Amino acid sequence: MASLSEEVLLVVKKVRQRKQDGTLYLMAERIAWGPEGKDRFTVSHPYSDIRCQKISPDGKAKVQLQLVLHTGESTTFHFANESTALKDREAAKELLQQLLPKFKKKANKELEEKNRMLQEDPVLFQLYKDLVVSQVISAEEFWANRLGGLNNSEPAPCSNKQEVGISGAFLADIRPQTDGCNGLRYNLTTDIIESIFRTYPAVKQKYSENVPHSLTEKEFWTRFFQSHYFHRDRINTGTQDIFSECAKQDEKGLMSLVNKGVKNPLVDLLSLEDKTLDEGYGIKQALPSTSNTNKTVKESSNAAIIKRFNHHSAMVLAAGSRKNEVPADQASETSSTDGNSRDSDFFQPPVKKVCVFTVKLQEAIEYEDLQRESKQKTVALNLKKSDRYAHGPVPLQSQKYTTSQDIINAVNCIQHEMAHYKPNLTQVMSSTAASSAIAALSPGGVLMQGGAQQAINQMVPSDIQGELKHLYVAAGELLRHFWSCFPVNTSFLEDKLTGHLEEMLQTAYSKFHIWQTRRMMRKT
Amino acid sequence: MKLNIEGLLVYFPYDYIYPEQYSYMLELKRTLDAKGHGVLEMPSGTGKTISLLSLIVAYQKAFPLDVTKLIYCSRTVPEIEKVVEELRKLMEFYAKETGEVNNFLALALSSRKNLCIHPEVSSLRFGKEVDGKCHSLTASYIRAQRHSNPDQPVCRFYEEFDAVGRQVPLPAGIYNLDDLKDFGRRKGWCPYYLARYSILHANIVVYSYHYLLDPKIADLVSKELAKKSVVVFDEAHNIDNVCIDSMSVNITRRTLDRCQSNVETLQHTIQKIKDTDAAKLREEYRRLVEGLKEANVARETDVYLANPVLPDEILQEAVPGSIRTAEHFLGFLRRFLEYLKSRLRVHHVVQESAPQFLKDIFEKVCIDRKPLRFCAERLQSLLRTLEIADIADFSAVTLISNFATLVSTYSLGFTIIIEPFDDRTPTIANPVLHFSCMDPSIAIKPVFQRFQSVVITSGTLSPLDIYPKILDFRPVTMASFTMTLARTCLCPLIVGRGNDQVALSSKFETREDFAVIRNYGNLLLEMSAIVPDGIVAFFTSYVYMENIVASWYEQGILENIQRNKLIFIETQDAAETSMALEKYQEACENGRGAILLSVARGKVSEGIDFVHHFGRAVIMFGVPYVYTQSRILKARLEYLRDQFQIRENDFLTFDAMRHAAQCVGRAIRGKTDYGLMIFADKRYARADKRGKLPRWIQEHISDGSLNLTVDETVQLSKHFLRQMAQPFRQVKPPDRRRVSLRVTSPRLLSLCRRTSWVCLC
Repeated sequence: MASLSEEVLLVVKKVRQRKQDGTLYLMAERIAWGPEGKDRFTVSHPYSDIRCQKISPDGKAKVQLQLVLHTGESTTFHFANESTALKDREAAKELLQQLLPKFKKKANKELEEKNRMLQEDPVLFQLYKDLVVSQVISAEEFWANRLGGLNNSEPAPCSNKQEVGISGAFLADIRPQTDGCNGLRYNLTTDIIESIFRTYPAVKQKYSENVPHSLTEKEFWTRFFQSHYFHRDRINTGTQDIFSECAKQDEKGLMSLVNKGVKNPLVDLLSLEDKTLDEGYGIKQALPSTSNTNKTVKESSNAAIIKRFNHHSAMVLAAGSRKNEVPADQASETSSTDGNSRDSDFFQPPVKKVCVFTVKLQEAIEYEDLQRESKQKTVALNLKKSDRYAHGPVPLQSQKYTTSQDIINAVNCIQHEMAHYKPNLTQVMSSTAASSAIAALSPGGVLMQGGAQQAINQMVPSDIQGELKHLYVAAGELLRHFWSCFPVNTSFLEDKLTGHLEEMLQTAYSKFHIWQTRRMMRKT
Repeated sequence: MKLNIEGLLVYFPYDYIYPEQYSYMLELKRTLDAKGHGVLEMPSGTGKTISLLSLIVAYQKAFPLDVTKLIYCSRTVPEIEKVVEELRKLMEFYAKETGEVNNFLALALSSRKNLCIHPEVSSLRFGKEVDGKCHSLTASYIRAQRHSNPDQPVCRFYEEFDAVGRQVPLPAGIYNLDDLKDFGRRKGWCPYYLARYSILHANIVVYSYHYLLDPKIADLVSKELAKKSVVVFDEAHNIDNVCIDSMSVNITRRTLDRCQSNVETLQHTIQKIKDTDAAKLREEYRRLVEGLKEANVARETDVYLANPVLPDEILQEAVPGSIRTAEHFLGFLRRFLEYLKSRLRVHHVVQESAPQFLKDIFEKVCIDRKPLRFCAERLQSLLRTLEIADIADFSAVTLISNFATLVSTYSLGFTIIIEPFDDRTPTIANPVLHFSCMDPSIAIKPVFQRFQSVVITSGTLSPLDIYPKILDFRPVTMASFTMTLARTCLCPLIVGRGNDQVALSSKFETREDFAVIRNYGNLLLEMSAIVPDGIVAFFTSYVYMENIVASWYEQGILENIQRNKLIFIETQDAAETSMALEKYQEACENGRGAILLSVARGKVSEGIDFVHHFGRAVIMFGVPYVYTQSRILKARLEYLRDQFQIRENDFLTFDAMRHAAQCVGRAIRGKTDYGLMIFADKRYARADKRGKLPRWIQEHISDGSLNLTVDETVQLSKHFLRQMAQPFRQVKPPDRRRVSLRVTSPRLLSLCRRTSWVCLC
């Protein structure tokens, strides 16, 4: 066998399996066992199929090693060399211990992939149920030619793992507890600290500046919680506070965010109004421009809270998507520096913005429910002689029926007539008359009784249709297996063909038969 | 599909049509047939715009002599763009179906700020700056000066347009703002002036309300639009306020100071011109003696749209002698200014009518009514003669002269209120003279008189009969259409009590009540836990929101909400709010979910849509009554009672409910959309409030959802959301259609649909 050329890592002789003596081979990718005196393996498991290994307790007479597969089956090896049984098993176990984790990942991935495919594709799932669960074919065979393409193209999303975002309420989660002597105790976890750093880079900067040479970590956080920065509703930040600078930086950050403007013009309130009233006109009086002076302390602290929430939410949001955004940010920055040389980009309208805008506009004016639903793509049946298809190979008789040519001619004729139809809009039939005419022309209507073609899918209830469909798909899959064996050029294929495939088809047929008779029974 | 609307062949660019769209078209056609005005209410998201456009375009094609132009007025720039895009779709459909090349010219017009392509001018941020700069480059005398002085900067786009742009009309097609700019760039023409020129012969014009309703702009832009036009005001639920705003004037001390310096500048310029070019002033004098005959002739022959600031009477006469020479006029202005200053020196609030004001001014400084009336016109003439470069600098004196004309023209419909200080800050002297319009019909009257059909339409116009009353016109059709739904995709709930049975209300007495605020907080908290993606909450006013947010913060409610969703809050700064809005959408988009706290009557509530996951629930905290203590409002209410027999309370409720409806309507933008509408105030349960909501919302308020507690609301919402989250299968008669498609051509199908739309929809 071709696999014999594999690297053999360990050979253990005198291992019994199913009461047969043999040799156990541990190879690079699989574990195999062959009976004594024969040169083929009767047991062979790729490592990726093995879920775990179990060993018999030390005190037991038999020294055994059991392999449990993902499918639930298990294989037990009995180490029968009396003097070295324990040692042999230990060696095998050790090696397996090293090897299995390497394959485990792969196996899990494969399993996950299979699972995903089944979940995402209901047809496949049904097929799986029909063929594998009812044991028409084995799971391996079922997956054999499905996973082929799958292993090559590693699923992309696995490679870049999604960054975990930050809870919006992480500051709220730091619940202060009184420590009994007029103090407050804050419990900080590394997660919270991380959140704080990610959300407020200014604090991180302060931290790296001050800790540990001027402050201990504990002092730093004590100050942080004491600071006005943390309690932002108090506005007058003292100058000695090390976090007052952070507040200023935040302010700046917010300003720059605001000044950057918004990309989506549909939410840009500044350019929403087309023409504003000139100064002095209108009912609503302009707010006094020197707002700071006559605002009460309470009002401005309220405003500060509102600002803070907007900022906080924006920062949390940004922290979650910061990594992806960096290139985009740079791009926008470079384009904004371009803006200084205005003449150069004067003939190039900001394409990106316009694009976003038109897309959003198109979205906004779509009425998807008014459009005809996009039909599912089907393969067109290309028939050279359609009446052969419709009527089947019937013996030629002098019986009269309309040929397809006649039908096509008639349809063309109607089409032609319709194309040149000029409606007289003021003299039309009433809508009730029209609707009754349509009803009469519809399948099942008075005039469409003879139409045979519509009948079958309306006469048969949908559950029967569904069941039949499942059987059909399952049989199709089997046939696919069947045909894929041709041309039969290896003994394996021959085996497969003569052996169980025939059996399988037989099973499938009998299944269909059972279904049919059951249906008939139920009908009668 | 093609439709037969009472004998009119209408092309409709979709395969299906909602029944309400059909009825809407029917009503619209009747309005056009009768050459009258109409009021039509149809919920947003039912394709109002496309129905309107389809019908009117079909009408224009069928009767090109009866309706020559469609003037479509909308509110915001994005909405204008939307209309143009829908129109483009329609025209593409026409071209596809008929195979003819489109011969319609349709374009959007916007302010210079959105249309300018001059590299320097367009880089300015504010519309006013752009206008001023543009004017300084394109004014006629600036360009005249260029002949003698080639260094004088002018706008090359305008020059190019002026030289050749008027000879060939803009080729037929659909132009949105960007298309116009592109076209302008290609040709080297100014898109703004090109658009302004082209609207005269365009088949369809899409622009903002102000171009028709604000007399100052309408006079420049829309004066010569054809009489046989159909005017549509979309999103017109606030049209009365737009009218009032365009006619009201506020004068502060700062205005007067700036006016004073304007007058000085004028004086200076006159002196200079007198020395150099006295002939010019003499020419102006001659022209003034001849009077405003030209304008009068024009108005009588109905060439122009009337201007409410230019009353009929003054057109018949010449400018009175006392203000005919430039110096005399300046002297007159000075006296008027001094008088206004003295009036602003009051220590208590004064309210008077226009006649009282005129009487007082005559007694104090001997200014007659007649010259006052000519003030605006006279100043315009003077500014033209003096070749003032930057009109924007003279906005103050223009304001004062407009005020003079208005106050002397209309004895009814206006009130003058002089307040020595702001009510909220009684210690700081900040005198303001409000000259406020109380009658929206004054501004809109010329529109109704001139154009053969005016259609007022919106998603929320209930109760319909109030609009004809306050706008003073007689509609031939009034109709309100409801929304046919395949599934009940809106769920209005009225929350009247907290879990502790405290009545929830934003009424003045309980406004500061902690129990109410806490329960409101609970409601938001509970909803934030069960509603997916975005929640929008509206408060009745900005101050109210600030207070509530502050006390929620103190009570720790906001912290708890943050566990579920991010919080964004509307601020009074538009740029900051835009940022918050964008972040809000981002948070909804990436699945984190967010809450937007916003204010009814604010910009967000009027102009931003929260489609699909951007707004799965709207919570209206309280009834958004207008600030009732304002004197201007009181005066208006009184006027409404006296003139239109509308009771104060009726109007206030109407006004509050239309804003509430606007707010909650933001969440439902189509039939595939769904959303909760939570009215958190027990007063909504009353029949007089509920009855004023639009029909399409009212229909879905069951008796069981009138006075819910927070817990009950959560239960109902959960149920609703679970139902709605199921995939939406469209209910269409599929099999029937497929068969007919197989046997016949699509044309036969469209014929079938045409004749029997009912059974197919």
